[in-house]
Amino acid sequence: MSDNRFLLFNNFIHLHKKWVIGIVLLVTAAASAGLFFARYEGNIDLMLPPDKEITRSMDFLRDSSLSDKVVVSLALTDPGKTKKELFVAVDSLAASLSPPLFTKVIAGFSVANVMEEFSILQYAPQVLGAQDLAAIDSQINAETVSRKMRGIFLQSLRPESIFMSSLSRSDPLGIKMLLLGKMRALPASMGYDVAIEDGHFISRDGRHAMLIIQTPVPMMDGLRSKELIAALQERLKGLPEFVSADIICGHLHTVSNEQVIKRDIKVASIIASISFLVLFLLVFRDARVLFVFIIPLIAVVWAIIMASVIEGKLSYMVIGFGTAIAGISIDYGLLVYIAMKRGADSAQIVKLAKLVTIDASTTMFSFIVLYFSLIRGYHQLALFSILCVIICLILSLFVLPLTLSWKHYRLVSDPTIGDRLRSFRWPVKTSVAIWALLTSVALVLSFSVKFDSDVKKLDGSGPEVLRAERTFHDVWGGKDSQAIFVVTGKSLEDAMEKNDSVFREAIRVVGSGDFTSLALFWPSEKLRRENSEQWDRFWKQGREKKLKALIRDTSAASRFSEQAFAPFFDGLYAHRVDTTSTTGLIAQLQERFVLNKNGEYRILSYFPDEKKYIDALTAITQRYPGTFIVSGKALSASISAFTVKEVRILAPLAVLFNLVLAWLFFRNWKETFLALVPLITGVVWLVGIMSLFNIPLNVVNIVAAIISTGVIVDYGLGITYEYRYNLGIGTVIAVTLSAATNVIGCGALLFAKHPALYSTGVAMVISMVTGYLSSVIVIPSLCSIMETTKMGAKNV
Amino acid sequence: MKMLTGIIAALSLSMFIMMQTCLVLAAESGTGATSQPGDLSAFLQGIGKKASNFKTLKTEFTQEKKMVMFKEKLIIKGRIFLEKPNRIAWHVDSPVRYSVLITDKLIRQWDEDTNKVQEVSLAKNPIFQNVLSQLTVWFSGEYGSLLDTNDVRVVKRDPLVIEFIPRDNNVSKKVIKSITITFRDDQNYLQQLRILEMSGDVTTINFIHTILNTPLNSKNFEVKGRV
Repeated sequence: MSDNRFLLFNNFIHLHKKWVIGIVLLVTAAASAGLFFARYEGNIDLMLPPDKEITRSMDFLRDSSLSDKVVVSLALTDPGKTKKELFVAVDSLAASLSPPLFTKVIAGFSVANVMEEFSILQYAPQVLGAQDLAAIDSQINAETVSRKMRGIFLQSLRPESIFMSSLSRSDPLGIKMLLLGKMRALPASMGYDVAIEDGHFISRDGRHAMLIIQTPVPMMDGLRSKELIAALQERLKGLPEFVSADIICGHLHTVSNEQVIKRDIKVASIIASISFLVLFLLVFRDARVLFVFIIPLIAVVWAIIMASVIEGKLSYMVIGFGTAIAGISIDYGLLVYIAMKRGADSAQIVKLAKLVTIDASTTMFSFIVLYFSLIRGYHQLALFSILCVIICLILSLFVLPLTLSWKHYRLVSDPTIGDRLRSFRWPVKTSVAIWALLTSVALVLSFSVKFDSDVKKLDGSGPEVLRAERTFHDVWGGKDSQAIFVVTGKSLEDAMEKNDSVFREAIRVVGSGDFTSLALFWPSEKLRRENSEQWDRFWKQGREKKLKALIRDTSAASRFSEQAFAPFFDGLYAHRVDTTSTTGLIAQLQERFVLNKNGEYRILSYFPDEKKYIDALTAITQRYPGTFIVSGKALSASISAFTVKEVRILAPLAVLFNLVLAWLFFRNWKETFLALVPLITGVVWLVGIMSLFNIPLNVVNIVAAIISTGVIVDYGLGITYEYRYNLGIGTVIAVTLSAATNVIGCGALLFAKHPALYSTGVAMVISMVTGYLSSVIVIPSLCSIMETTKMGAKNV
Repeated sequence: MKMLTGIIAALSLSMFIMMQTCLVLAAESGTGATSQPGDLSAFLQGIGKKASNFKTLKTEFTQEKKMVMFKEKLIIKGRIFLEKPNRIAWHVDSPVRYSVLITDKLIRQWDEDTNKVQEVSLAKNPIFQNVLSQLTVWFSGEYGSLLDTNDVRVVKRDPLVIEFIPRDNNVSKKVIKSITITFRDDQNYLQQLRILEMSGDVTTINFIHTILNTPLNSKNFEVKGRV
């Protein structure tokens, strides 16, 4: 807009003052009402890179339904109460959980049912391979069989014989131990410590029971998660007084994160609002300064609605930046207010408009840079912030002046406001030398800054959620995280056969103890058939006869009957390769190891989430198409690599944009360099200070730093412009108050409990404080040194 | 993911338990038409309260096992020391000397064949944990809780004989036909416990010279050098 057009438009606005103000109020009221209807979301997914590996892992976790389970750990709090009473409470709770929110409730399972399905002579032939048969073969000799017979006899004297003697008849050699060896690997590698009693999951201390609830509510669905948790908590109120319950689920994180973010936004807004008011009222002693304060708030409300309309849903994380954006956007109004207070003439107002517009442009460009990122959340943040800045700029330039001066209540001008600050001089050479030294130190330190790629650390769940999880792990174990090796196939058998091959290779590189696979205890039908045939051949090759003879010869002393081991020999070939029943133990286990998504089968194997295993197993994924690894640590590493890649593009772009805008403003490299001093200082000192205090950079505070560049460059532009042109519109005090408001806006986030918001606050406060100090101390000094020509509308 | 691991852990452990816990209990079927108490639950609670009214127990036992596995009846003689809530010593004197101590924390056992003491943490041994819980119920006299998982019938009033038949929801249902307990005349403790298995095996434990609330010393719970 040319100078004349700007003045014409400004006059037009002044002529229609009441209409303009009325429209602004009307739109604000409508937008405020719209806040209640806008849709928000609270998941961190939005902030994750759309990298193929990361997306696949996140999709897998979302589709797997692994995350859509709720676990309730119930504890006996009264030492006088028994497990029986706990089980009654568990059963009663389980019965109260019904669809649609709770589709399946597992409190344990009946061992009796399992016993019916499971038989050693049915199971062993199918799952024992050549190596296992060799182990059995090594036992078919006089010495071992004699020892086994004696063992069975001695066992019948023991109290447990009441429970075990029948079993010995169908397993004289103790083949069950080979099976147990396979089964034992399951809980051991998973790191959980669970027992079954009376059909219930029970902890080893006998004081806790566990309930596993399946729900159709996706973990990321904030609204329904809230409904789910509320319904569950309502049911938990029905528990007897001596039973306490902890809920463990991802839904709780979603709900808690939302609550924490909402609380943080509220607290930050209140702190920032009070601080702004106190600051402005103290400095200006004029109630009209409230309009300066109100403008960014109006802009935030408008921006939320507009961004929601464009995006559909707006992330709470993005809205969380609201106070920071408000702090940034207040600058424009502040500059206008101070200029008007000083009684700026139309020429000065035009210059002011240019400065304010270029300030807004640099801020907008720092957000536009985010569009070069592939992270969708950054785009949403950019959209929201740009809208906020534009609205604020327009309202500050055209609406704010209308509100400052009324017929009976004119703005009292103060042409000297800010002059004392403007005329204050720091020792020129000393301040530049100290700045250069400290910046060099910060630069050196910045090379050793750490980057934390663990997105879990950005989880802002409340302490009660984390406490419940700690207690859960103390009781049930399972602290060590597991990674998942996923094998896909068009049919279950196809996937299982591939899984068998992967298992064979995997145990060669990581050992069977560390790789828990379905193939370990329930291989593919093809392999089970081969095993069965092998089993039959094994016994028919004279071993059955040999064992019978050995038992006859060695059991005489213990007076075993002729029929003692008839169940074993009669059932030796009675096995069949079957498809598992849908209710049996294998089916239950399979349900946990096999996923079916849109007709594609996925078989999951578990291993410790450690780099050495991931590296070794990644090589296998390359040999087997359709296999991949889902690992929390690998996910973090991918996010880290992606962020580093993005920062390499975004950071130079941000600097470039600022450089170009500054040059376009000054058309002079010397002044451009001066104007960029706060930017350089802010970035270098931020990284240096974080390194010094061992605060790592993360995906969130890096973005905050990039955004800050667009703000602190304004300080440089303003101060350089002031000293270059002797504007006399109170730029120094305006920049000082801008910095104060920015620091208050971002500083309010230091009171946030959510780590992402807190981290943002830390980064922005450091860069803004350092950027401001360099602008008011170093730029005037550098101006003096470089004997920058001062020109201006009027002398100060 | 962690939820899944919990389930798997639970399932596999239960398989472990299942594979080793074919409960073999036998009892004599009641005959005659003994009148049944109006409120069986209250009756059992009352009997249980009386029979469980002790802190310590010392008894000799003779266990007679009629098993398909052996040509002849297996007669086991020994002693049991019990200290509530969870400490039981089971000493076998014949045909082979054997001792086991089961507490809420560990299992310690010894036999003369090996002459070695083995100690295992109970937390790592679900079989014994299950054994302990079963023994605790039958030996401690807390029968009231059994009504949920058993059909209960009073077979005889004098002496008092009660039969328990596992219901479908009972873990033992697949292997146990019935359990019959016979009380002493004073009904303060058991005189006999008979377990009838589905396979036809019968185990009868007779308790002799039972003394309740007698002081027990640490030697009673030693598994080596105690005989």
